Formats: sequence, C-alpha cells, structure tokens
Amino acid sequence: MKWLRLFSANFRKEYIELKRYLPNTIALVFTFYIIFLAAFFGIMFIGDPASFDMNVQYSIVSVVFWSLTMMTMNFIGFSVITEATRGTLEQIYMSPMGVWKIMLTRIIAQFGLQFVVMVLLLFGAMLTSGQWLSLNPMTTIPIMILTMASMVGISFMIAGLAIIVKQIQAFLQIFQFVLMGLVFVPLTAVPFLAFAPFVKGVNMVRTVMMDDLTLGQLPLADYGVLVLNSVVYLILGIVVFHYCEKIAMKKGLLGQY
Amino acid sequence: MEKVIDVRGISKVYEKRKTKEKIHAVRDVSFHVNRGEVLGLLGPNGAGKTSTIKMLCGLLETDAGSIYINGLDIGKKRLKALEHISAVLEGNRNLYWRLTVRENLEYFAGNRGYSRKEVSDQAYKLIEQFGLKEKENELVNGLSRGMQQKLAIAVALLANTDVILLDEPTLGLDVEVSYELRNILKTIVKEEKRTIIISSHDMPVVQELCDRTIIINKGEVVIDDRVENLLKLFETRAYSIKLGEKLSAAQENKLLSRFPLSTYKASSHETIVEVNLEHGQDIYELFDLLKEEGTMVESIDRITIDFEQVFIRIVKGGKANEMAPLILC
Repeated sequence: MKWLRLFSANFRKEYIELKRYLPNTIALVFTFYIIFLAAFFGIMFIGDPASFDMNVQYSIVSVVFWSLTMMTMNFIGFSVITEATRGTLEQIYMSPMGVWKIMLTRIIAQFGLQFVVMVLLLFGAMLTSGQWLSLNPMTTIPIMILTMASMVGISFMIAGLAIIVKQIQAFLQIFQFVLMGLVFVPLTAVPFLAFAPFVKGVNMVRTVMMDDLTLGQLPLADYGVLVLNSVVYLILGIVVFHYCEKIAMKKGLLGQY
Repeated sequence: MEKVIDVRGISKVYEKRKTKEKIHAVRDVSFHVNRGEVLGLLGPNGAGKTSTIKMLCGLLETDAGSIYINGLDIGKKRLKALEHISAVLEGNRNLYWRLTVRENLEYFAGNRGYSRKEVSDQAYKLIEQFGLKEKENELVNGLSRGMQQKLAIAVALLANTDVILLDEPTLGLDVEVSYELRNILKTIVKEEKRTIIISSHDMPVVQELCDRTIIINKGEVVIDDRVENLLKLFETRAYSIKLGEKLSAAQENKLLSRFPLSTYKASSHETIVEVNLEHGQDIYELFDLLKEEGTMVESIDRITIDFEQVFIRIVKGGKANEMAPLILC
C-alpha cells in the first residue's frame, strides 16, 4: 500500500512538473520530430529507393525509441543534479521509504508520461511519412516492459554517479549520442550489442512493428537474451546506486553541489 | 525520563580531496534528549553542529559511535529510524519551487507513504496555523523567504514524527518574520510535546524555546546544561548607577581603589558608575561613598547577562561570574 502511495505522490509530482514545464516538453518533442524529418528527407533524396519503406519505418521506430530512452534515462541524472542544487536531495534522503524506491517510482512515472509523448511523436512521424507500423499492444507492451527494466538499471547507475559527482551534465550530453548509437545501429551489423542495455528489446519491438509479428513468432532465444539483459542491468544498476549512496553518506556528499 | 535520542561517542573525520588532510568535524560527542524535551544545539561556525545534525538524520555516516532514535540504531536500521525523524535543514532549500504550498505538503507526506486523503485535514490545519491560507495554491518560488521557511517547518510537522530537527530555522529572516516564526515555534513546543533539536545562532530563539542547551566547539561538547543554569553560571552582581551629578576627584579615587573592576563615565548629559560587587552587602559601602558628598542617585539597574553573552563566554573559554559587558536587559 505504501508503495502505491509513494508511486501516486511521485507520478503526480512528475505530471504537475511536466505540465508546468510544458513549453520545454513541447520543444523537446519538436526537436525529435525535426530529427525524424531530417532522417526522412535524407532517405528520400539520397537513400536507396528500393528499400525506402523499410528505411523510413526503421528511422521512425529508432527516433521514437531514442527520444524515449533519452528522456527517461537522462531524466534521472538531471533530476538528481537539480535536487542536489536545490537541496531537496537531502530531504528525500530522509524518507523512511528509501531513496531507491522514490527514484524507481519517478523513473516509472517518467517512463509512463514519456510513453504518451512518444505515442504522439510516433503518430506524427507515421502521418508525415505515410508509413504505418503495426502497433499491436499485446506484443509490443510485454517486450517494452522487459526493455524498460534494463533502462531502469542504467538510470540507477546514472543517478548514483550524479549523487557522487554532481557535475555530470557534460557526460549526459555525450550520453545521449551513445544512446542514439545503441538505438540506431542494427543488431545484424553488430550482434554483440544484444548484450548492451535495452538494445535487444528495441530491436525486438522494431521487428514486431515493422514485420507485424506476434509474441509467438519471435525466437525463444531472443526472449532469453532480453530477460537476462533486463535482470542483469536492473540488479547491477541498483547495486551501483547503493554503492554510490554509501560513498556519498560516508563522505558527506549528499548536500554538496 | 525516556530517552528518544541517544548519541554515544560519535565522531566524524573528513578528508580534504587534494591535500588528504584530515579534519575532525565531530570528536567523541555523546548526549541524549528526553521525550518532549527541546534541545538547543549551539556552536560557532565550523564547530560540528551541521555534521552532528546530519548524522542524527541519517544523511551522514558516523566514523565511530552510534545514534539511537527511539532505541533504533540509525547506522543499522536507518529507514526504520527515519520513521521517527523529520528535519528542516539549513537554508531555503527544503522545498520544490515548482510545486504549490499544498502540493509540497502532500508530496513530502506521500514520500513517507501517506495518502493525500490521510494528511488532508492535518495539512489544512498547518496551512492555517502558519498563516499560509492565502498562499495555499501559489508556487513556492513566488513566496517570501519567511513563508518558505514556515512551509518547510509545516512539511516537517506533517510527517508526524516524534523527533524534529530544525537547523537554523530563523536564518536569513527579517526581525518581524523571525519573531513571528519564534511565536509559532513556541506554540508548537507547547502544544505538540514533540522532541525537538534546534540548531541556531539566534540566541533569543534558543533562550525562549529550549529547555536544555549543548554547546559544541571544535567538534567537542563544551557544555550540556539547562538554559537557566547556564545563565546562573555567568550571573554577576553588577550594577549600573546613574548619578545626578559628577563625582569629586576624591570620590572617584576612593571608588576605583575600593572597587577596582568598576568604571566611571561622566559626560555633559549623564554620569554613570558601573560596579561588580563581590558580596551583596558591598553595595552599602558604595552608598556610603556616594553619601559622603551628598551625591544624588537617579537610578540603579542590575546588569544582567543574556544568553548570547553566555554563549560567547563559553565558546571563548570565559570564566563564570565575570562582570558582564555593558548591556542592560
């Protein structure tokens, strides 16, 4: 029950802040839309006309997922930095619920809210390009939930790092391009990236959306890699976060910026 | 008396990043706070107050010693112990500036596992009590410093904990708001019967609100006593006597030889003698001296020491019963 109340409080806070920073959110979505348009026109004018449809669909899914991963994962890093600057980080550290739970509920809330934004972007991109992807929620949502677990893990690592280092804005700026690489590069070209966080999941969702597949039509081995990937990164993320927390409490870094 | 907070021999050492020099912020500090007691934690800047407060609220690990909150070791059962503590930390940095007054109250309560419905009545009561009714739906970044501080205290109270830590609650507030906040805190202390630790440089706050005071200097507890005992410790038999006319040279010489710690100040508009008497009956000798030449006495005031002076003397290692500086209370 306390978990639910915690989630409700943090979802509400994220929603209110998203509304109050609406111009910011709109600008961000618009930026992603422009990036998609750049990719779309690039494919149209210099791409191979034979694979035009496939390339456009590939870029739609990739841009949408890049926006989702970036807004969710970088969010927590910036959130910790902002809280440390304002001093509220110490306040949330005084919650008897535990900060990792607060962070987790915030990441989930943020993922949920950004998911809505992502759907809007997806429809905008599909409408512009005239390319319609399969949006079977029964197939995509279970894969996305598992994919999200590894994103949560990386978010925790970023949060932990931010608690100790604080000034990681430059890293987060670069990190968005790393995320771009992970989302855009096809697994067929770099197969070992399947073990990188969320890449397998994004690849599976992309295949499902582009080829209109159901859950049963995907190889079992893909699920194995996806589950393993999600569990490992989630646990690793929480362990790293707790370790960073321990260092911060030992050295008195929570209130510093 | 039941101990709500029990601090046993805590120490904290920081290491400078570049030079690796070790700084002992807190050294073997022990004290306890009983249920319903209001404790003042005082000390000059860099004395180790904030480190002590942060260790008490589990934001900083101790290097040695333990802290028990309602019998729970904060080092071992941190989250369980935090159920009993809330705090307003130094500065105006305890709130979300993009949320309204009510949203802040509800959010922090939610972070402790309370639903909005559960805290609704209490939140309303606190908004009223702190005079924030008109600002209830305003964003925190639009509030004055004083209102933000009131809200931060209201947030701590809404947590409904046994222990509340207030780090510099009146810092940076103007005289009027500071006075208003002091009165609110006084009411809370009286009505709520919670265990409160106040760390402050604002001596009237400590003198008015605290039952007991701990003074920390250079990371060590210098004194731990009740406020009235500390005032008594430095109590003097010092008087300021306003005379109707100037003393003669002979009178002045006699005065300074009999009462060497006395001062005599004569100006065109007033003549004042300040004396510190060793024994109560010495005052008759002083009157005899004045009577010799029929010097008129206009007024006699006892020079009392206030808590600020007590604090300064303790920190500077002053001795008890020394003559107080020239402040009339």
